[in-house]
Amino acid sequence: MPSVLQNASESLWLIVGVALVAIVVAARVLWLITVGRRVAGGVRTARAATFAKLQRSLSLAIKSLWLHKLRSFLSVLGIIIGTSSVIALMAFGEGSMQDALEDIKRQGATNIMVRSVKPSDDSLTSQKSWVTAYGLTKRDLERISTFGDAIVRIVPLRVFPSEARFRERQVNARVIGTVPDYADVQKFELASGRFLTEADDRDRKNVCILGSEIADKLFPFENPLDRGIEVRGAEFIVVGVIRERMPTGGSGGSQAAEEFNRDIYIALNTSVDFFGEVISVRTSGSRVNEKVQYNQITITVSNIDKVRPVGEAIKSLLKQEHGGKNDWVVTIPLDRLEEAERAKTRFTTLMAMIASISLLVGGIGIMNIMLATVTERTREIGIRRALGAKQKDITLQFLIEAVVQTTIGGLCGVVFGIAMVFTVPIVWEWFAPTPLPAKIHRLSIAISLVFSVVVGVVFGLYPAWRASRLDPIEALRHD
Amino acid sequence: MKKPTPMASIVRVIDLVKDYHMGTQTVHVLKGLNLSFEEGDFIALMGPSGSGKSTLLNVLGCLDRPTSGAYFLGEVNVAKMDDDQLSEVRCTYLGFIFQSYNLLPQYTVVENIELPLLYQGITLDQKTKDRCIDLAEMVGLGDRLDHRPLQLSGGQQQRVAIARSLVNDPHLILGDEPTGNLDSKTSVEIMQMLRNLNQAGKTIIMVTHENDIAEWARRVVRLRDGRVESDIRNDTRGRVG
Repeated sequence: MPSVLQNASESLWLIVGVALVAIVVAARVLWLITVGRRVAGGVRTARAATFAKLQRSLSLAIKSLWLHKLRSFLSVLGIIIGTSSVIALMAFGEGSMQDALEDIKRQGATNIMVRSVKPSDDSLTSQKSWVTAYGLTKRDLERISTFGDAIVRIVPLRVFPSEARFRERQVNARVIGTVPDYADVQKFELASGRFLTEADDRDRKNVCILGSEIADKLFPFENPLDRGIEVRGAEFIVVGVIRERMPTGGSGGSQAAEEFNRDIYIALNTSVDFFGEVISVRTSGSRVNEKVQYNQITITVSNIDKVRPVGEAIKSLLKQEHGGKNDWVVTIPLDRLEEAERAKTRFTTLMAMIASISLLVGGIGIMNIMLATVTERTREIGIRRALGAKQKDITLQFLIEAVVQTTIGGLCGVVFGIAMVFTVPIVWEWFAPTPLPAKIHRLSIAISLVFSVVVGVVFGLYPAWRASRLDPIEALRHD
Repeated sequence: MKKPTPMASIVRVIDLVKDYHMGTQTVHVLKGLNLSFEEGDFIALMGPSGSGKSTLLNVLGCLDRPTSGAYFLGEVNVAKMDDDQLSEVRCTYLGFIFQSYNLLPQYTVVENIELPLLYQGITLDQKTKDRCIDLAEMVGLGDRLDHRPLQLSGGQQQRVAIARSLVNDPHLILGDEPTGNLDSKTSVEIMQMLRNLNQAGKTIIMVTHENDIAEWARRVVRLRDGRVESDIRNDTRGRVG
């Protein structure tokens, strides 16, 4: 829902624009039906005559369509469905992709993430049996730091779950021991107070910064700042609160499914001092002692061109340092960004193609109806010819009828499509746990409108041509 | 009796031949007709079915092209004109009245009358609309301007058709069994209207198979088997009133 609302203001001008166009068209239609023609006095120029004829043809077309309301509606139904599905599907496709892209961008195109991974094999059991040690080490950090000025920033993290308490309140949180630069990497916005400083880390101060949900749960009525909370037996003074962040679409951020709002940040050195290097973690019923020096290291590279080389260097470094142990993984968002962009283009194009097929089917429907209409109005065509209509007059008349139908269908489809983009996610959320993001692609509206006009011309041409080739005498004899 | 004034020949047909090709067979419908009609005349074309009277009317109405021969409408031989040119001729010089009225159902009386003007390519404005209203009033339908054909009786519809045939001030009005679908009383009304038009100077050629109706005309041309069987002036025997 939120992502749809975010786009609401952007799409608002779209809705207003489309509504205005629809109103103008509707008003014109009504006016033409009731009044019938333009009152144009004065000079009779060739161009004015052609324009008048066109004007007239338009009003004829609308009148003929109005005469058979149900049939006209059914014949444009295909166009409406086609147009609205182009818009809706492209919006949903764009939305999903956008979420993934945004997520990756948030991680930073110049960042490289190295994560510690608990190996599934038995390579741990060779160590002290009651402690599982794995992952990135201080040595790794030191080695990476030697890469020199290619690296702008290194941010190590240590993560473990814990309960946090304030007076009688208690909440499950994730404690993250890190350095002040972490705020830059994650682009935090502070709701109040401050983040960690060099001094906190150096002096091993017991200060902490709360995620928004922790702050809300532990301090629903009070100001958290300067209060003390308890984490695993140690007291921490709150010096800051992070503003609430929207959860990502779970496309695999720096940690699986980031939930910043439930984090408590403390200084890295403080975490080592207070909790030691071995943390006891409860996992599905049993308790495990883990020794992980760093759960993650985020490296910011100075330049996008250096990202890949540095990434490769880190990979070979870690391979060397860790031997055959599969306890680390390097993620390069830049790769995923480009890959995601490609996937997005592919996906959007595919969606557009699929939806266009239904537009095509709609066009075939129009052609079918128009052919039937021509047959039904054979007599009328004969009359018009007898009264002086040329073949091209007849062609133009029926072609305009077809195009008017498809254009009106296209406009309705646009309105309907936009409506679907807003309503379907709401219904979706009743049934599915994750939201359905949607972002209306401006291009999709233009494309589908143009397409609906083109479909009218292409599929209306043959019936119109057929109509003009009717023999007037035969036509007059027709029922 | 008025002294007959020399009238210009408005229609001249010379050696008019019309053949139809049905698969491998050829049907000779008109076999070299030679006719001349004067301006201001009122002609009835008669004959049994298959005589070619309808075909002749179609050719005269520029709805069909003769296989050979000449057709002079005024000074111009229209026999060799192409479709676009014939359409032009129809909407500029001719007016049509059909047996089944042939009004457009989705148009009002005024809009139906206006139709030939549309195809002349002129701008339709208040002036043209007024003209149509005048014509509607002339045929007695001034109070039904916004009615649609479904709301009119047969006679009323035919009157609209007559008004329509006049809107472009044609040289020639062609009627195909104009009273065919009407009862005798209404037929008389319509024929009276046509006679009045003729007396005001309009040239009328109509096809009919009823002698009663033919008597309203001033000249009766009978066809048989694609040729003229008889050609009799009716003036002296014309109906009174």
